[in-house]
Amino acid sequence: METFWEAFKRHGVSRRDFIKFATTLTGFMGLAPSMVPTVIRAMETKPRVPVIWIHGLECTCCSESFIRSATPLVSDVVLSMISLEYDDTLSAAAGDAVEEHRRRIIKEYWGNYILAVEGNPPLGEEGMFCVVNGKPFLEHLKESAEGAKAVIAWGSCASWGCVQAARPNPTTAVSIDKVIKDKPVVKVPGCPPIAEVMTGVIMYMVLFGKIPPLDSQGRPKMFYGNRIHDTCYRRAFFNAGQFVERFDDEGAKKGWCLYKVGCRGPTTYNQCGSMRWYNGLSYPIQAGHGCIGCSEKDFWDNGPFYERLTHIPVPRQEADADKVGAVAAAAAVGGAVVHGILSKIRNSKKREEV
Amino acid sequence: MRIYVFSPGLRIWHWVNFLTILVLFGTGLYIGNPFFSGPPGIEATHAYGEGLTMGFIRKIHFLAGYILLASFIFRVIIGIFSKRDRMVLPRFWTRDYWSSLKEITLKYLLLKKDSDGREYIRNACARTAYPLIYLAILFMIVTGFGMYGLSNPGGFWSSLLGWVVWALGGEFQTHMWHRWVAWLIIVAAILHVYFVIREEIIRRNGEISSMINGYKYFEKEPADIGDLK
Ligand code: HEM
Ligand code: SF4
Ligand code: SF4
Repeated sequence: METFWEAFKRHGVSRRDFIKFATTLTGFMGLAPSMVPTVIRAMETKPRVPVIWIHGLECTCCSESFIRSATPLVSDVVLSMISLEYDDTLSAAAGDAVEEHRRRIIKEYWGNYILAVEGNPPLGEEGMFCVVNGKPFLEHLKESAEGAKAVIAWGSCASWGCVQAARPNPTTAVSIDKVIKDKPVVKVPGCPPIAEVMTGVIMYMVLFGKIPPLDSQGRPKMFYGNRIHDTCYRRAFFNAGQFVERFDDEGAKKGWCLYKVGCRGPTTYNQCGSMRWYNGLSYPIQAGHGCIGCSEKDFWDNGPFYERLTHIPVPRQEADADKVGAVAAAAAVGGAVVHGILSKIRNSKKREEV
Repeated sequence: MRIYVFSPGLRIWHWVNFLTILVLFGTGLYIGNPFFSGPPGIEATHAYGEGLTMGFIRKIHFLAGYILLASFIFRVIIGIFSKRDRMVLPRFWTRDYWSSLKEITLKYLLLKKDSDGREYIRNACARTAYPLIYLAILFMIVTGFGMYGLSNPGGFWSSLLGWVVWALGGEFQTHMWHRWVAWLIIVAAILHVYFVIREEIIRRNGEISSMINGYKYFEKEPADIGDLK
């Protein structure tokens, strides 16, 4: 297969633009500027890597995000750099022809291709809640993973389970690492993940021939090493105690911190605060809406999204920790007073004489 | 009979613990639900160092957290080296524990008079409740420093305690657990204060002053006197 540099030349990209791209890419991959020559060398010598991209139970937002990657030529170049051999959502071909091609690629590049998984397998009813080409996605996934060199879990679906795995999870949807246990799985959570993060992860794997350094949860450290809260430009308002109380109040107009209207930034690891979306244009908090924690495990179960504290299931009441706690404390005080008075009477000398 | 119950170390620890938990609870409630705003009319960048801001309150919380940790470690150490300071441990394996538990339950249910039966320096109910409170405090320390460490993943606290956060179902859930158990500790503290006052009033045994001067008064020899000597 041709190298990246050759693919670039074929696309009419100048040497200067190529170097620029390599430099940007180095930054995106979270590497030091001293790594630029290494990246350039890798791009000149490494052959393109075949990628099989499969889709399970999902909404396709990861693909939507990826193809809108705004960095120089990404949608174009990355798609031509990785040789995307199979993607049943994007490909023009369909049915048996494309399935046959997938099997051929798996055989031909056994142990060398990357499997990218978008969505997840539902285990319920023997996997029949999600069917690809007449078979449960579960089988499709296992078959495709067997010969893969490494597996990428795109988005919160593949990484954690996401909305389809939210309580009560009727289809028993699970993250893919519950099914694929013998391969390295790189989790790239987010609903969807930021396009440049997806590009960065895949380029790292292709250029360096190994998976990026991962944290304890299997997420690439360079992209998921910071909380939104710790990179958020509204953080000064948080520290100063200036909070939006309602979406139409004075604080909202002034762009204060969204903590009290439920912002999940303090417990969410993602690049939104630093890379932002659409080539750095904006991100939800900049638009005035709190983070909902879309890249975190079980974020759907940690609602309500517009309140800081989760609700505790109390029959016919909306109650959070503070309400339940205050009632319990008041009950303890009341109980103590009553019990105290009764104890006093019970133990008094007078009663003893009776 | 005047008996020396609490060592100086334990008494100091008790009041340090009291103060830090009070501060931690007050600041913690604010952190999770900022019920007043910081100083108005100031540039946020400068407001950081001015008065009761979120930044300041969090700093106090973490400072008190370190003090709580240090005093907890101190408490464990004195417990290891002095028999007197180990009296909180329940002795499930003895028959005395169970009969004492039955007796004290009947007394608290007002079915028996407090002056009936045996006297204890520390009854079985207290010996059951205190270890649970220590566990709750340890839980707060572990989850607290777990969350604290995650602003610097890979640093000291996150390598040591990061796993706790994941064991509790993620960082958000850990915040909620930290808050639920905070309330639990406050409810336990209310009951603790109540039982101390009750003891003082009914038995007039110097219960309240004992945590200051170390002495309690007894009418007969307590059944668990052996734990002191
Ligand atoms: C009995 C002791 C403690 C009590 C009663 C207490 C109470 C609280 C409460 C109520 C919260 C708010 C939870 C939320 O809604 O997010 C909180 C947050 C927190 N506490 Fe504690 N805490 C205690 C000990 C500690 C310790 C020892 C540490 C260690 C440094 C600690 C570190 C934290 C951190 C890092 C937060 C989150 C702060 C933030 O989100 O900005 N806590 N605490
Ligand atoms: S808006 Fe959200 S992420 Fe930003 S400082 Fe406030 S709480 Fe943190
Ligand atoms: S700000 Fe939060 S909810 Fe929004 S995209 Fe980023 S991680 Fe997801």
